[in-house]
Amino acid sequence: MSKRQLAMVMDLNKCIGCQTCTVACKTQWTNRNGREYMYWNNVETYPGTGYPKNWMDLGGGFDAAGDLQPGVIPNLEADYGVPWDYNYDALAGGASFEPNVEPTWGPNWDEDEGAGVFPKDNYFFYLPRICNHCTNPGCLSACPRDAIFKREEDGVVLVDLDRCQGYRYCIAGCPYKKIYFNPKISKSEKCILCFPRVEQGLPPACAQQCVGRIRFVGFLDDEESQVYKLVHKYKVALGLRSDYGTQPNVYYVPPTESPVKFDAEGKIIEGSDRIPVEELEKLFGPEVHGAIKTLKDEMKKRKETGESELMDLLIAYQHSDMFRLDNTYYQQVAKDKGLNPLAPVDTRYIAGKYTKTGHTINFTHGAGLTAGGHH
Amino acid sequence: MKTIAATLMISALASTTLFGANAAVNALKVTDDLSTISYASALWNKATFSPVLLYPQTTIRMNDKTANAINANNHAKKAMVAALYNDQNIAFIIRWPDGTVNVQKGESTTSYADGFAVQFASRFDDPNALPYIGMGSEGRPVVVHLQKVAKDIYEPNGNGDVALQVNRNQTDLFGKELKAFDKKVASLGSSDYERSFISEGFRSMTEIKDGSNNSYSRIRYMKSNKGWEGTLTRALKDEYVNLNAGAIPVAFAVWDGEKMGRDGLKHLSAWVSVKLQGKSGGDDLIAALDGSLVGDAKAGKAAVAANGCVGCHQIEASDAPNLMGPSLTNIGGYSTAGYLKESLLKPSAAIVPGYNRNAHSAYQWYTLDNGKRVSTMTDFAWLDETTQNDIVAYLQTLKAEVK
Repeated sequence: MSKRQLAMVMDLNKCIGCQTCTVACKTQWTNRNGREYMYWNNVETYPGTGYPKNWMDLGGGFDAAGDLQPGVIPNLEADYGVPWDYNYDALAGGASFEPNVEPTWGPNWDEDEGAGVFPKDNYFFYLPRICNHCTNPGCLSACPRDAIFKREEDGVVLVDLDRCQGYRYCIAGCPYKKIYFNPKISKSEKCILCFPRVEQGLPPACAQQCVGRIRFVGFLDDEESQVYKLVHKYKVALGLRSDYGTQPNVYYVPPTESPVKFDAEGKIIEGSDRIPVEELEKLFGPEVHGAIKTLKDEMKKRKETGESELMDLLIAYQHSDMFRLDNTYYQQVAKDKGLNPLAPVDTRYIAGKYTKTGHTINFTHGAGLTAGGHH
Repeated sequence: MKTIAATLMISALASTTLFGANAAVNALKVTDDLSTISYASALWNKATFSPVLLYPQTTIRMNDKTANAINANNHAKKAMVAALYNDQNIAFIIRWPDGTVNVQKGESTTSYADGFAVQFASRFDDPNALPYIGMGSEGRPVVVHLQKVAKDIYEPNGNGDVALQVNRNQTDLFGKELKAFDKKVASLGSSDYERSFISEGFRSMTEIKDGSNNSYSRIRYMKSNKGWEGTLTRALKDEYVNLNAGAIPVAFAVWDGEKMGRDGLKHLSAWVSVKLQGKSGGDDLIAALDGSLVGDAKAGKAAVAANGCVGCHQIEASDAPNLMGPSLTNIGGYSTAGYLKESLLKPSAAIVPGYNRNAHSAYQWYTLDNGKRVSTMTDFAWLDETTQNDIVAYLQTLKAEVK
């Protein structure tokens, strides 16, 4: 276990499946050949096959006794979907518009299909997924080269590309299949929780670009952080498939706001909910019932009294209400390691546990930058 | 199975035979340059090819479900090995059967390479205390030379050419400039997947990247023989090993990409003795590695049963897998009698690191005492020597059939 743990909370009630996070991640990090097919961040439709195909059935993770379970390594064509391109150059010569490979499968092949019968009770919701930066990572435990490590300072799980020899046991060991093989360099790669951004005061690209403002980022031991409040104080954010035993550190506020169902005559069934709670229980465990109750109660409280810290938190009025990063802490870590501490490039979200003095730089008011207090 | 009488006779022969006739492989002294010798060299015609048996690694079980299923009942393989040496270098050629050519491709997540490795011990003065066969052990390092069959790989090389690792579509280049870019990118790739490692037990294996190893390896597929042919030549002496001796221990491993082979999914030999013809000494090593049974295997089997070894080890392939300790189902194939006896009497002398300590946290193969690894196995030094030898003899018989 690391000294501190950086965590993310995603509010599934607010995810609109726009894939802006995916694009933010791809533009930020697909800067090397061989990563074309990888989505360190993906948004899949649930229920659905997911990405890679049927990842929940591919093994990995731990059983109740704490033994790593064998898993299956997905295939590029059949399970991930091969990235294809079009013959733009040939179009000028009069060629017809063709993909360079026959696409047979890809991420979101079944987007918005969901389950149920339209218009009676069909439903789906979006499930954005990144590496869970687990406290007990299956990938790390599976690596026979000890090439995967969990950063002591913030629990980010990383692949040491110098040690990695491309054996791919990590992929089998990760129950979320969030670690990928780069065949061009013959090494495994994965989401790095944008640690170079976080260290400098910027939230991960997926979180910053999220138009639904569904992603909260902070340290779990920072009681002022939004993630702490959602995970530990209100207990409305839960790990995905915690039954895999890896103790994931990306948490989800379960989708509670689904439409009502219709009966055979097309009439509203009062009090019904399209998303079956059993499905949510499968994803988020039995704690989901408590989380749903808290969410509903707080929503009611807000309606009646106008007051609810939880609702205000989930509305996420401003980015600074979503991210509590901790540059002071990283500076100290760098100093302790004898490295050059990095100056923050953005101080708006720096308000972490060890940040004694606020140092918001206001980019919007006036001509120049003005530094001011925060909170 | 050899009888005790035959065993004694062979060891007697080994100690009296001049020139180490019982060595598994005889390296022929030549005067020609060996620094870049490949399979194509006519020098190999002069060398003597000797059989070396390669057994499926079953000490630990990897966590790839598909691969485990297709490798469940692997047989042993018979490779043919020859060696040459001169004053500077020693060269090996290994031919092993493999019905399929498997190349690790640059556009697949599920293709695996055929390949081979040659392992050298950094110290072998005590032939009964060689490094653990699985890439050495603490305080007993090995050097491993690996050659795999791969399509171009663009390994991050730290040369600051990151911009050349991006997709061509992400550049702002067109026409001639784009072609030049493609050319530059292509020049960065290498299909020669040759690596050298220094290791003190698997997990610790570290690639030698500073050029301090002096080796050269080639590989080709022989269609007519349905098998691979690989050569490895290295300096007799460098900062890692000194092979200037009458006989040296060498071990071989091969991978079958068709069976998703990589890392532990491989076939490997025991330490085999290589006689450097014309150099004196090494008879002890040759005798220690000659593979003859050191006791009565039948009595040993009974002793193993009586001492409850199966409580922690999977012993025969028909026994249930047991995470408590290394599986012994092929231990006779890739272990020497000396190693087996040492492990029985002093389990902490050469520790098998085993799984990541987090992968099966209830089954630790060793504990740490002030940073020193201590085996969780109890020692059996209290057994009388005949029983010890019988147990070792039984373990020597635990191995897959050659096919």
